[in-house]
Amino acid sequence: MKYSLRPYIVAGCLLMACAPAAAQMPKGSNVNPDAGLVAEFTKKVNAYVKLRNGVTGFAPDLKRTEKPGEIAVAEKSMAQMVRGARADAKRGDIFTPATQAMFRRVLLSQLTKGGGEGADNKAIIKDDAPEPKDVPFKVNADYPKEAPLSTVPPDVLLALPKLPEDVQYRFVGKHLLLYDAKANLIIDFMLNAIP
Amino acid sequence: MWTSRRSLAVITLAAALSASAFAQDLTLPNKPTGTLKFAVIGDSGTGDSNQYKLAKVFTDIRQRFPYEFVLMMGDNMYGGESARDFQKKFETPYKAVLDQGVKFYASLGNHDSTNQKMYKPFNMNGERFYTFKPKDGIRFFALDSNYMDRPQLQWFEKELAASGSDWKIVFFHHPIYSSGGAHGSDTALRDQLEPLFLKYGVDVVMAGHEHFYERLKPQKGIHYFTSGGAGKVRKGDVGGEFTEKAFDQGFHFMILEIDGDQMHFQVVSDQSKTVDSGIIARRRVEDKPAPSQPAAPPAKPVPPKDKPTTTTAKPAPPSTAKPPAPTAKPAAP
Repeated sequence: MKYSLRPYIVAGCLLMACAPAAAQMPKGSNVNPDAGLVAEFTKKVNAYVKLRNGVTGFAPDLKRTEKPGEIAVAEKSMAQMVRGARADAKRGDIFTPATQAMFRRVLLSQLTKGGGEGADNKAIIKDDAPEPKDVPFKVNADYPKEAPLSTVPPDVLLALPKLPEDVQYRFVGKHLLLYDAKANLIIDFMLNAIP
Repeated sequence: MWTSRRSLAVITLAAALSASAFAQDLTLPNKPTGTLKFAVIGDSGTGDSNQYKLAKVFTDIRQRFPYEFVLMMGDNMYGGESARDFQKKFETPYKAVLDQGVKFYASLGNHDSTNQKMYKPFNMNGERFYTFKPKDGIRFFALDSNYMDRPQLQWFEKELAASGSDWKIVFFHHPIYSSGGAHGSDTALRDQLEPLFLKYGVDVVMAGHEHFYERLKPQKGIHYFTSGGAGKVRKGDVGGEFTEKAFDQGFHFMILEIDGDQMHFQVVSDQSKTVDSGIIARRRVEDKPAPSQPAAPPAKPVPPKDKPTTTTAKPAPPSTAKPPAPTAKPAAP
């Protein structure tokens, strides 16, 4: 009787590929294998906020007002200044390829959780959410006011890297946006973030 | 001469009919002093004729039930959010009550831009989530259910813990219990919020999102209302295991009155008809059940009165009603 080792080798390789971070961790360690990627992502987001706050110092202040027109003017001015300051920004600057892999992994785990929780999370994201045709997938583009904002389930938010106030995760179809709610601007996006 | 007399008679008759229609339906205690009167609208911001029609009923009823403020369940602005949109979808339909000094307290829906928090007439104090205490012993919490992140959850728990034995009324856009076919219960939100509601003795939870009215069977002792039909209606979408009472055949708003340990509620349609009413009794924190214990008894229904009355429906001059001033600033998350 002959046994082929090929299936075992393939399976072994797959296992190793799926858990590289875990394999490098010392036994019993509580270190988050994604800590480096989270730190890198957070640093980039914070740099964005710093840039925004720096360049919008001269824009009309977004303050509490009885005149909604002033809110619109402040938003647009802010967006315009941010666009000017990061004119060469492109898709993937913040959602780098390595970060994207981490996001897909985390999101997949949240959307495939047992006991119906994963399915519920997926349904909530899709519930009354915008269609991809309604939102421009373009860095520095305005988020269209006519399009709704997707609901992001709390446990998904708790699992993703924490963001500064006014920077949010939003889904459009299967795609994930990094959204500046203050300037109403798309900061970056990643396609096919969720299955 | 004859024409003017006839006109006068017609006007008098019309006014009397209009007044009696409301008086017939008004079932709240409507006490002249000592109670807290407020209203609820949800999913209102379409700017279309349906919103305006209901807003007219909403305005008229204030002459007989002088609600002091209004809670907005989100989707305050469908579509654009230019100055013209705010005018068409909020300022014009509710102009009469705004002019009378009635305050609106908004929560954000999935159709609302976060920057609505900066619009002063929504009284959000520049925050996505906030709390206010319009009267001693009664506290409201507005949440942003569209984006329930860690800072918001932490803030909410801190504020709940500090609120003592007050009536605790929480409102936000997405219902955590719902019989709606199109949306249904937001179970992920429920997983995060319900333990806090139970731990800190929340009494009543109000939501919108579903374009109908639903009073739910109390869940673990907490009373839930969904009121998302002030601008849109989804007919034939409601009814199921959670439903105590529902209405999806027209537009609606709610009026409520807290009188000591009782909350009276009434739901009014765009046809000026009462579609639900009842009384909720507040329980003491120590009486509130643990999650595993049976639910509290349902709200006691109050059928609409058959005869017009003048004692329970006293018109009050709108200008005398004072809007509540927030007594607590929202804490920074």
